[in-house]
Amino acid sequence: MRRHERVIVAAVVLGLFGLWETRARLGRIDASLAPAPSTILDALVRLLKRPEVLQSLGVTAWEAIAAFLIAVPVGLLIGFILAEIPSLGGLLRPLVNFLFGVPKSIFLPVFILMFGVSIPQKIAFGVFTTIFVLIMGGIAAVQSVPPELVTVSRVYGASRLQIIREIYLPAMAPILLESARLGMVFNITAVLLCEIYGARDGIGYRIAAWGENLQMPQLYAALVLVATAAVAVNEALRRVETRLGAWRQRS
Amino acid sequence: MTRPLVAIRGVSQRFGVEGVSVAALEGIDLDIPDGQFVSVVGPSGCGKSTLLSLIAGLRAPSSGAVFCDGEPITAPMPRKVGVIFQEANLLPWLSAIDNVAFPLKLRRVPRPERLQAAARMLELTGLAGFESRLPHQLSGGMKQRVAIARGLVQNPAVLLMDEPFASLDEQTRMVLGDELLRIWSETRKTVLFVTHSLNEAVYLADRVVVLSARPGRVVDDVDVDLPRPRSFAMTSSERFGILKDRIWQHIKHAERR
Repeated sequence: MRRHERVIVAAVVLGLFGLWETRARLGRIDASLAPAPSTILDALVRLLKRPEVLQSLGVTAWEAIAAFLIAVPVGLLIGFILAEIPSLGGLLRPLVNFLFGVPKSIFLPVFILMFGVSIPQKIAFGVFTTIFVLIMGGIAAVQSVPPELVTVSRVYGASRLQIIREIYLPAMAPILLESARLGMVFNITAVLLCEIYGARDGIGYRIAAWGENLQMPQLYAALVLVATAAVAVNEALRRVETRLGAWRQRS
Repeated sequence: MTRPLVAIRGVSQRFGVEGVSVAALEGIDLDIPDGQFVSVVGPSGCGKSTLLSLIAGLRAPSSGAVFCDGEPITAPMPRKVGVIFQEANLLPWLSAIDNVAFPLKLRRVPRPERLQAAARMLELTGLAGFESRLPHQLSGGMKQRVAIARGLVQNPAVLLMDEPFASLDEQTRMVLGDELLRIWSETRKTVLFVTHSLNEAVYLADRVVVLSARPGRVVDDVDVDLPRPRSFAMTSSERFGILKDRIWQHIKHAERR
């Protein structure tokens, strides 16, 4: 975005919040459903001082990170295998494509039956939801490696290991990071869904509880918190992706 | 007579295409002395590129053998043979100089040393000042110059060029042809140059090997007795025309079939 565009966007957002604030204070909108932004901000500051809330955030973060750390290497490895072994890929890729299109949320009750309402259940469901993105990403990444570059390196005496390190990895890096980033979005969604559906701790669990008890300031404050965290993770990954993929830009 | 630098002895190559065996090359015998510039021409699909990939060590012939400097070629010999393809095939994430240094990196030459060698090659190919450009910031002709520099960086005795200028426009092609002759006269490599262009073949080479339609056989071996250095004016000389016509007669028959 250009500078003046940023100013315009910031002004529009601030304007909307200002409108919301004044209307809520004047009693024109139902404060029990949409409390004023200042009330939400206040609730947010107080939430961040409560140890049990911080602990819930920690639980959610732990579940998301654990699921991510399992799903990324396993998913990519499956993707690489399916892409590199055509006979296996031919058999299994239609299945992966098919499962990719199925909404994963419908399997949540099955995961509760299998793992109980527990942290492993959240992690398992996170992995299950995320892994298909990474399998597809792994396949796409391998297919993005230009075969002529492999030929060139063979001509110049590259070993198999050197071909992987010097050609495959840099060529695949942008797509790998992109799939990891997309996977993270799916993953956070899955973990929060699990917590809202049934849990003993975690920020999703608290969001559900505040919602049921009509504690709107806390609920909105938690939404702001989760949204900010998710955007921060996404942007951080996107930064790395852009830097590693600078060579992909066409002039 | 001195031993030929590249010797091709009774080489045939067959490919299995959907269970059917197709002959690409048949009974090729060629001796290429050190320092000679040889063009290889022939009708489309005659196995010119296959012949180069055999010398590059990318595949083994079905029968016969290829020797470089007396040694049979069974795998790529990067220190003896440099290869330049139709497309520059640069690694898009590496700068021009790192691309040129890439073959040295594969051999684990220390970075300062390989960058020094690469800088010299970029200078030789007329790209001094473009060291840090990424491939997408270079024109087609410049990319091919980088590829030539990469082919030369290990100081190989033989340079294999597989239609290196085919995807460039006519003017760039002519400039690069002259550049190649200048580099060749400075380095005295043995060059095998596959091309579709008869003008290019005759203009550049000491000798033009003409292959027949598939399966490719050597149907003519033309000595290009034009003086060097070559100049653009020679392309309209009578001798040039006679040589080109002789080659064209072979290809015309094959392409008509």
